Amino acid sequence: MGSRVEILNEGGFRSDGRRQYELRDMTIDLSQQGSADGSAVVTHGLTQVLVSVFGPREAKMRSQTIHDRANINVEVNVAAFSTGERRRRTRGDKRILELAATIKSTFEPVVQTNLYPRSQIDVFVQVLQQDGGLLQACINGTTLALVNAGIPLLDFVCAVTGGVHETAPMLDLTLLEENDTPNVTVAVMPKTGKVTLVTMETRLHVDRFEKIFRLAGDAGKVIHGEMKSAVKTRTSALVTAMGSGPRVGAGDAADRDADERMNEY
Amino acid sequence: MQSLSKAEKSYIQVGLLSSPPSRSDGRSLLDYRSVALETGVAPLANGSARVNIGRNANQAGGGTEVVAASKLEVESIDDDGGVEGGRIVCTVSCSPSAYPHLSSGALDDIQQDMTTILHQTLAHPSLHPNNLSILPRKKSWLLNLDVLVLADAGNVYDALFIAARAALWDTKVPRTRSVEYKARKTTGTKPGGTGDMDVDEETPSGFDTRQIQNATDFELPDYWDEGEVLDGREKWPVCVTLNLVPPVHYLDATGQEEAATPLRLLLMFTFPPNGPADVQAMRMLGPGELKITQLKDLIVTGEKYAHDLYHSLNVKLKEEDVRRNQKARDRFEQHR
Repeated sequence: MGSRVEILNEGGFRSDGRRQYELRDMTIDLSQQGSADGSAVVTHGLTQVLVSVFGPREAKMRSQTIHDRANINVEVNVAAFSTGERRRRTRGDKRILELAATIKSTFEPVVQTNLYPRSQIDVFVQVLQQDGGLLQACINGTTLALVNAGIPLLDFVCAVTGGVHETAPMLDLTLLEENDTPNVTVAVMPKTGKVTLVTMETRLHVDRFEKIFRLAGDAGKVIHGEMKSAVKTRTSALVTAMGSGPRVGAGDAADRDADERMNEY
Repeated sequence: MQSLSKAEKSYIQVGLLSSPPSRSDGRSLLDYRSVALETGVAPLANGSARVNIGRNANQAGGGTEVVAASKLEVESIDDDGGVEGGRIVCTVSCSPSAYPHLSSGALDDIQQDMTTILHQTLAHPSLHPNNLSILPRKKSWLLNLDVLVLADAGNVYDALFIAARAALWDTKVPRTRSVEYKARKTTGTKPGGTGDMDVDEETPSGFDTRQIQNATDFELPDYWDEGEVLDGREKWPVCVTLNLVPPVHYLDATGQEEAATPLRLLLMFTFPPNGPADVQAMRMLGPGELKITQLKDLIVTGEKYAHDLYHSLNVKLKEEDVRRNQKARDRFEQHR
């Protein structure tokens, strides 16, 4: 083996032993964090993000209120120890502001902001570890935290990165792969099949784009499955905790009904 | 930090002052909430720890949560701002979710306060570890200790110091080997010498201890572990916050109790292996005031609390060392 790490070797394996279309291990923790109304810790491989959602509530600054819908305020913080090289990024850092703006524009069409006029929904993203796919982790985390906070969404938003090595498309890139291949982040709404975000900072050949775009759409559905089961587990744990007291009325039919409704999402 | 109404404040204060004292969560005055500690939480750092004070037992949420991580950087002593023997820089940053009601400006102020207290205490020369030097007069390690407050449910300073102590305890300094450039020994004709004259070979005396360091650079030898622990890691201080509602004081205030307490006294102690404890730093927070005689008594009682905290923390840290090294090795053996 040469000194250079191969992105995709002849056997079809990537540097961390995954296949081309294989996603990294994804863990979701929806337990309560601090005083947040909803929070989620999402891990994609070695990338870890903690998202806390506050609101809908009165805006801290009156000038930020919008008369007919809620304002979504996204703040991103990157821990100084999250990267290999220590780097302290302050709140005013351009890169971070851009990330926050991207998350905000991704969620504006999805959150039903018109239900909460003159209020604010705060989304605080804390990046704990970085190993590629930062935006993807932030978006998936934000979706789950919003769901956990009980804020009405039109659909889940599931994001995934895709890249092309020579002509072979790959999914869910690590930092190493992200630095070496052209890559694109796609956020899809799996129920409606709509796309809320496509972003790319590198150059990608047009002929390759379609393939990777379709793959990312499919991967979004897989991630949606993971997210859905996590939400379901959390919700049923809460329902069990609440239902430990006596139940009012004939619960069974209502339960089944609720279960079916849950499956639809 | 939270704002409370007058009635709420007096309710909490009356509870603390009544006999027997009553607190909203049923603790006595000197009880801590449960403290959870885990080391090695940041894989990319040289040492790290996560501390939670007062987590809800049944739904695993709530409580004050702090993550600390130390990272080592190489500094050149002449131009890079490096100091002979290395240096330590502590930074505290607060997640906006820890203080959801504060504006970003106020958050910066709080961060600055905490950074000052932590840095001034931990970067004190009396605590400086000896093994942060790489090459004398050339290179040294810069230890960056970054502490992140993820949630504040009261008693954040104790949590900060516990996390910092645990992260520093966990820190491994990579082993280095100095690299030296030497001219190749020329045998045979000596340059500039007359060929046929018999010149005494200069043999270095075994008693000559004056060694001139010629090392110009260093390398990292490949070794099975991540390096050696920081020198004097038992020395790092612990902090106890005495919350004073005269005439009583209590420990481990919740957020609401903090808001109802006029004066808080932070005491940082170190416990040398033999000999009495040292007061490493002291702070008073809040608008209240204190008499000098009261202060003396508080320091004496504070030392007792700090001693208990120090010992239980040491037990836990040693347990964590075993968990991460020995047990991990055993597990690895089993699965091989």
